[in-house]
Order: sequence, then C-alpha cells, then structure tokens
Amino acid sequence: MLENSAHTSVSREAYAVIVVGGGHAGIEAALAASRLGKTTLLITMQLKALGRASCNPAIGGLAKGHLVREIDALGGEMARATDATGLQFKMLNRSKGRAVWSPRAQIDKLQYSAYMEEVCTHQENLELLEDEAIAVSTQPGGKQINGVVTRSGLQLACQALVLTNGTFLNGLIHIGDRQILAGRLGESASIGLTESLVALGFKTGRLKTGTPPRVRRSSIDFSKTTQQLGDLNPEPFSFSTTDFSPPNEACYITHTNLETHAIINGSLAFSPLFSGVIQGIGPRYCPSIEDKVVRFAEKPSHQLFLEPEWSHSDQIYVNGFSSSLPESVQLASLRTVPGLEQVTFIRPGYAIEYDFLPPVQLKANLETKRVSGLFFAGQINGTSGYEEAAGQGLLAGINASLLIDHAPPFVLGRHEAYLGVLIDDLITKDTDEPYRMFTSRAEHRLLLRYDNAHFRLTERAYGLGLVSSAFNNQVVRDKALAEKIAHHFETTFIQPAAIRPLIKTQAPLNESQSLGNLLRRPQVSIDQLTPLLPNWIIKLPQQLLNLVATNTKYQGYLKREQQQVERLLKYQELPIPKALDYSTMAAISFEARQKLQRVQPETLGQASRISGVRPADISILLILIRQHVSRETN
Amino acid sequence: MLPFDEDTIVAIATPPGTGGLAVLRLSGPLALETVRRFFSRPDKITPRYAAYGALVHPDLGEDVFDDCIVTFFKGPHSVTGEDLVEISIHGGSFLQQKLLEVLLRAPGVRAASAGEYTLRSFLRGKIDLSRAEAVVDLIHAKDAAAHRNARHQLQGALRTLVQSMEQELLQVLVQIEAELDFSDQEINPTCLTDLLPALEALSAKNQRVLATWFYGRRLEEGFRVPLIGAPNSGKSSIFNRLLGEDRAIITPRPGTTRDTIEKNLMIGGHTVVLIDTAGLRNTPDPAERSGVDRSVDEMERADIVILVQAPDTPEATTPTLNNTPYISVYNKVDLDNNPLNNFDVYLSCVTGAGFETLKELIYSQVINMVTAGVQGVVVSNERHLDIFQRFGDQLAVCQQAIQSGLGPEYLASDLRQALDFLGEITGKTTPDDVLNQIFSGFCVGK
Repeated sequence: MLENSAHTSVSREAYAVIVVGGGHAGIEAALAASRLGKTTLLITMQLKALGRASCNPAIGGLAKGHLVREIDALGGEMARATDATGLQFKMLNRSKGRAVWSPRAQIDKLQYSAYMEEVCTHQENLELLEDEAIAVSTQPGGKQINGVVTRSGLQLACQALVLTNGTFLNGLIHIGDRQILAGRLGESASIGLTESLVALGFKTGRLKTGTPPRVRRSSIDFSKTTQQLGDLNPEPFSFSTTDFSPPNEACYITHTNLETHAIINGSLAFSPLFSGVIQGIGPRYCPSIEDKVVRFAEKPSHQLFLEPEWSHSDQIYVNGFSSSLPESVQLASLRTVPGLEQVTFIRPGYAIEYDFLPPVQLKANLETKRVSGLFFAGQINGTSGYEEAAGQGLLAGINASLLIDHAPPFVLGRHEAYLGVLIDDLITKDTDEPYRMFTSRAEHRLLLRYDNAHFRLTERAYGLGLVSSAFNNQVVRDKALAEKIAHHFETTFIQPAAIRPLIKTQAPLNESQSLGNLLRRPQVSIDQLTPLLPNWIIKLPQQLLNLVATNTKYQGYLKREQQQVERLLKYQELPIPKALDYSTMAAISFEARQKLQRVQPETLGQASRISGVRPADISILLILIRQHVSRETN
Repeated sequence: MLPFDEDTIVAIATPPGTGGLAVLRLSGPLALETVRRFFSRPDKITPRYAAYGALVHPDLGEDVFDDCIVTFFKGPHSVTGEDLVEISIHGGSFLQQKLLEVLLRAPGVRAASAGEYTLRSFLRGKIDLSRAEAVVDLIHAKDAAAHRNARHQLQGALRTLVQSMEQELLQVLVQIEAELDFSDQEINPTCLTDLLPALEALSAKNQRVLATWFYGRRLEEGFRVPLIGAPNSGKSSIFNRLLGEDRAIITPRPGTTRDTIEKNLMIGGHTVVLIDTAGLRNTPDPAERSGVDRSVDEMERADIVILVQAPDTPEATTPTLNNTPYISVYNKVDLDNNPLNNFDVYLSCVTGAGFETLKELIYSQVINMVTAGVQGVVVSNERHLDIFQRFGDQLAVCQQAIQSGLGPEYLASDLRQALDFLGEITGKTTPDDVLNQIFSGFCVGK
C-alpha cells in the first residue's frame, strides 16, 4: 500500500475524468473510466474508507445479486471483490425457479475495503486524492463542466466530472435528540457542494436512511439464537472466479418480543422520526425498528439477524434493528431479546438525512441535462444499496469516457438488464423515497436472470473495451455450446421405457418424448434427466447446463417476453427533439404536459413510462415529433 | 403505452344504430389472411373489387350464415396505407357482433384504439404533415369521447367493476411477489392452489361481463323490436301510435306493408328500434312474398318480439321464436267484448287503451337484458370486448399454470399479463402499485 502522503497532492492540473467519492459508485466509475484509457482522478475525503460498506456487511440478495452479476459481466469490480472477501455465500429463492434465484454474500468489510484500495491503487491511469470537493466549476454560462474546487484549495480541471457523494451532502445524523453533522458516524459531512449545484439551477431534495447498532460479539449468548450458515457448495458472484472455496462463517437469528416493543412504544416521544424532527423520506423496505413496531402492532415479534462485520470480528451488525431512538432506549430494548440480555454497544444505530438530486434531472447516460459533462451516480440520485450505487457508478464511468470520445452513450434497455431498469426508473419515475431494486420492477423478469448476465452483456462490454478478450471469448464459446445443448434437448427423443424409471407421470407415456418436452414438465429437473444425457454434455460445467435447462424450461414464457420486447422496439428509442415545446401542445392532457415539461424525456419510450402520460398523449406526441423533424429537415 | 402500429386492428366503421348496413374494417398485415378464413369465397377477393359471398366459420355458430361483401384495399393503396379489408354485412344483426367477437379472437388481431386508423394514415404518409394538427386534434377528441363514454356508461359502473377486478387480481399477485422479492424474510409461503378460488371467482365474473356484450351493443344501437302478426292485425297502427306520428301507411287492405319500416323510440332512456313488418301469410304475390321473408329475418335478429293478434284476423302462423322474449298483444280490443285472457296486453288504437302498459312491458324486458350483467355493467364497446376476452383467456392461462404445478415466477408473469389487459381500461398497474401493497400488507425490511 502506498503512503497516504502520496495521495494528498496531484500530478497534474487537468484530468479527463474526475470522480468525487470513494464509495461503491465512485470506485466503479473511476475504474471504468481509467480502464477505458482516461486519465482519472478519484477524490475521497478518507482514503482508508474506500469501498467502505456503511451499513450491512453483505453484498447481493434478491434483485441486488442480479445487479452484481451484471456489473461483473460489464467488467466491474464488485463481484470479484465479493468473491475475494466473502464470509458466507447463499443462493436465495432456491426453492423457486432459477429465474428468481439470487446470490447473496456476507462480506468481511475490512478486507473488502482493503481489496478495493489495492485495486484502485494499482489501476493504470487512476490517481487518488484525499481531499473534499466543495464546488463544481463550469465554463461561463454554466452549461459545460469545467472542473472541481477542493477544500485544500486545489482547482482541478476535467472534461467529465462524476459526483458520487453518497449520504455525505449536508449529512445530518440523528440519535434521539442528538444531531451530528456527518456523512457517516465519525466522518465529516460534505458541505458546500450542494449549494454550488443549486447555484447552477439544480433541484435538490432530502432523504433519510438508517443503520442499526453495532454490538460486541463477546456480549452475546449465541446459545439462545439460531445459527444460520451459507450454502455448502456456493456459487461465486463473478464469472471469472475460479477455485472458489470461501469460508462459511455463521450468522445468527433471534427475535424481538412484546417486552422489546413495549419499551420502544414507551419511548416514541424521543424518536426524531415520530416527533417530526426528521423531514427526509425514508425507505419503506428498510424501516426502523420503531417504524415496524408501530406500523405492524399486531406482530408479536420481529426477526433480527446477528451478522459478523469481518472475519472473527468482535463487531456484530444487528440486522433488522435500524433505529434513531436514543442510545439508552436502543440498548434497553435490545437487552430484552434472547441472547442479547447482556449486550454492549460499540456504537448505536442512527438515522441520517442527506441531500439528493432528483434523478429526473439526468439523461439515460447519467449525465445531467443541465450541465454537459457532469454525471451523478449512486445515493446522490436517491437510490439506496451498494449494488445500485456500484451499477450507476460503472455506467457513469463508461459514459463519461464515451462522452469524451464523442461516442454514442452506453444505455441498457429495460429488457437487457436490471441496470437498464434501474436507470430508466430513476430518470422517468420522479420518486420521492429512496429507490431500491426489486425483481418485480423488471417487466421482463424471466429474461433477466442472474445466470445469463454474461450472455446478455459481456459482448457489449467487450465492444467498449471493458472486459478482456479471454473472458469475452469464453462467453462466446459458452453461447455456442449452449445452443448446441439446446439443440440436443429438442432433437433427442427418448423411448417411454427409458423415461419411466426416471419420471413419474400421471398418464402413462406411450410415445417417445424429446428431452426438451420432458424438461418442460413441471416438477422435472435437469438432474433427474442426467442418465439420459450424452457424455459430452455431462462433462460440461454444471452452470452452463443449468442455464440451458432453465431456458428450455421457461421456453414459452421467454418467447412471450421476447415478443413483448420486440413489439416495443419500434418507437422505444425515437428521440424527442429538445426544441419541442410541450406548453403549446393543447391536445395533450394538462397533467401529461406538466410531467413532460418537468421530466424532459429523451425518447418516446421514456415519455410513455412517465405516470400520468396516457397512450393518446403518446400518439399525439409521436405525430408532433414527426412534424417537427420534417420542418427541421426542410 | 407506446403505439403498436404493426398490429392488425379491427373496428366497426359504421356508426351505431343506423340500421341497414354495418361495415367492419380490418387494417394491418394480417387483415387479408384473417378475413379469408371467414369468407366463403376467399379466392374472389381481389384488390379494389367487391367480392360477394357468405360468412362461414365454425366459430360463428352453425346456424349463422349471412351474405356479405368483402372489399380489399392492398397497402399502400388504402386509407391507412396498409392492407385494409372492409366487410359489409346487415346492420344491427347478431352476426355483426358475433363476427367482431370472433375476429378479435383471431391471432394477431385486436380492437383499434381511439383515433388509431387516423394515426396510421398519418404514420404511413397518407395524411400530409401539414395536417398534423388536425390529426392531433382528432385523436384528442376521439380519445376524450371514448373516455367520456366509458365514464358515462351507467355512471362509471364499468370503471368501478374493472377496478374491483384489478384489486382482486392484484391481491393474488402481491402474495406471490412478496414471496419472490422478500423470501429472505418472515413471509409465510403461499400454496399456489390456494389462489385458485380467487381466480375462479374472477373468471366467473368476467364471463358474466362478457355475456353482456350482446346487450351492451344494443344500448348503443337500440333494442330491435319488430311487430309481428297476421296481415291487417293493425301492426302499422300500433307502430304509428307508439311513435306518435304517421310513419306507416295504413289501409284496411291486408298486406299493405310490404317492406319493413324502422324507427327509433326512446323508452325509459333506452333506444328501442321499433320495426313495422309485413304480415305473415302465404301469398302468391312475389312482392308481398319478399316482404314476408324480411319479416321472418327481423324476427330472427329481434331482441324482443311483439306478437300482434286481432279479433278480425286469423291467427298468424308464426315461426319459432327460439329463446327471444316476446310480448303478446291483442289489438283492436274495442271490437271484442269478450276477449281471451291469455295476452300480455290489450290495445285499442282507437281509444289508445293499453299503450302505456305495452311501453312498460317493453321497458321491463329491456331492463331485464341490461341488468343481466354484473353490477349494471354492460360491454358495448369493441375495445372493451377485446380486453375482457383477452383478460378471460389470460385468467385461464393463470389457472392452468397453477394446476399444472408451475412455480410462482411463471404465475407472476401470467398474472401481470392479465393485469396489463385490465390496465388498458383503467391505466396500467405499475410495479410501484405492487410494492405499495407489499409494504402496507407485509412487515418487510431488515
């Protein structure tokens, strides 16, 4: 590791790309830009906090695991870091079909951070600077980015600036009635940047999130909890990870009870959440314990997970107990929980309010509509979650580089990736609560599986120069093999006598069946059919075989989703001319006009997904676009 | 929703309730292929020539066989700039509705949305760019009218119904989605077969809604009520008296009415198409003979038949009525001091006696039909018919997915598709609607 002093000054006055923030978004943005050959500077307030997992010690999970796989398929770092530093791996939804399986890992936070620091330090074209960005600077007129001004007085120029400030912009921590100006507990907030963005005309909002207490392992009686281990044969996150034999460290489950709830209910007056002190909107999928107790009063207990923050650490994360109650109340209520009777805190849970920039101000490449060359990624866009942040960072880094090259932006469709769904939702939805990915957000869920992310994305990433030709060749070879296996499934017919011992059927089978048709029967898995497979297939990697089996099983459904996608394609990408003036479009409903005016969609597809815009409005818009374009060309 | 202008669309091109002829129009790549399957002389269909033949298709019902004229306009030489077929058939007929119903079920064919033909004409360059504003205004007006219609249709009962169906289906989907997206939390797993009753109930409701299509159309076009009886039983007098004007020629000579005459009459807010017909009798006169044939036709496509008898005319030999409701009328009661008591109503065109009762009887029959629907909802618009049909088919797919033991992720995909169909009436159900339900119904989040 390099000396810190090496990171307090910079080698040049101008960079192609400057990234502000060293969290999950900032890292991916900086790595992508530098890997695409751009001289890149990453500015972070604390180098040792690079890649810090501020909240839970886990990566992935339902829908988030999909995002990590996609980041990996596009050449991002998150999956490899997780594989290298994971403590426990688990495939969620295993009891359901593979389309909804999703990998999740407990990670060693310290090692994860160290891994990222190592990667960033050794990345060619990438320089690190420990400093704080306090203002963005633009060319005269405020329409083109110029660079950034730092706390230590540096004025750095760049062609593209990526802001990934997380919860640091005017971050305000609440613990009971205590308020602390901070980006994370013990880390200063970032002051000044929001104001400089407001001065450029950006709109900002306020969000809230929270984190639970960290407690001492030695103060827990684990005998009163239920141990929870990961999978025995875990699958890695990264397509490039080989020789995977990670540890399997335990987490523990315990539950709150009525006594816990009584203490919490009796202390709501001290909760900044209920007293109205906290103004920012919090995530409903990540409620604080006081929220759960109040809103679901009929539930006698809530599940808590005790998760190690790093390998054999004394610091345990109490998942499910996020709170902004006074420390004394947190402690007293937690001590009613089995196993936690003697628990002691390393630090209490807290809520944090921070500035975000409503992402309807962004284009699909994550560049702001207002200032060319300025990109936002991660929590600054109102998202929550490491994976959502990393995905945006990666795409912002790629697009910053493409912008400099005057190349067309890299935009993923909703049918191509969860990352596509994520960004499209952000720029069209205008939501006012922290955004998290769920599989139900993807209308083409069966097409977007964790197991086919590389089939969907890697060739495109290779085209950009983000993945090695070796990895790409592997994917191309696998695709060809997959087609061969699929063909075998559909063209190989099995005699009833050979099927009977393997599969029970309600009606007796009298005719031979293709392997594909057998596989499409509900309850039949590829494992049952193994005796019917030729040697060349059995020798292939199990994951590839599973992937093809899943495609075969879902065939009819996949086809339907594919057809829906194709139907949408025709007008999806039709650009909406910037000069179009919605206010004069009397035939478009008033509500739609207002929404269109606010969001300023770039394409007809985006416009069609804005709530309040009706099908007839879109037809009318289509006609007016045609008219506008023809006037322009004449 | 984006425009899908590669689909083949169908609509009834003639305004409702204008009698004689109805024109169904299909536009799009599958227009020709689809019509050929329903036409007795597919080889006769030539661009820009009218082909005469019959509608023949098992789905139209075995007893249905009617003449029609098919005219094919090959794209780009059509108003929409794409293949376009017009089918002209008898107006106000059961066949017209049946035909639309089966055309909508044909693969790749759907109902046109408001202003869609015009939109296509524009997109295919058939309408000059300089007229874009006019096209825009027209689409806006048609869309607004369609919405007004839907809103006013029985005081928004349709919308209320669809919203309640949507909620019921959403509850089913939410169960599954909660389990798919939050399986790492304390959510009790759903046994998929437990969801079947809810889907079955929805299916049954949808069936009842669909069954109103026939009557729904009548709400727009008017209920067809022919006066049927022997010559000189006074049908034309009743016709005139009901309308309060002298539309039909009345003479004491039997067989004066040789053609059918129809006229709209409002009874209790509903349109009734009253039809005066030629009296039924065997006659050597070919002109009268064809009048009698038309009377029989009218009976067959009637919604309610008024059977007229009089003391001074023989009882007409009426053909069978199948299940068509009828009202038996004893006319010229002023000529009979001691009439039989087995008639529904006794009329005198001289004194006007019985006419209010007759109107009440017609009204109560109409109301019977209208309320045969669900919560007063009737389907009268082809787009709605299309949606309910697709919704019903998709519900069946969902039920089948459960019965065959497919997993929740398949079912979720099927259910979402079903919701999308209903969403075409009420606006799309978004993932946020689903998530909102999950967050309010389940304690999720760590």
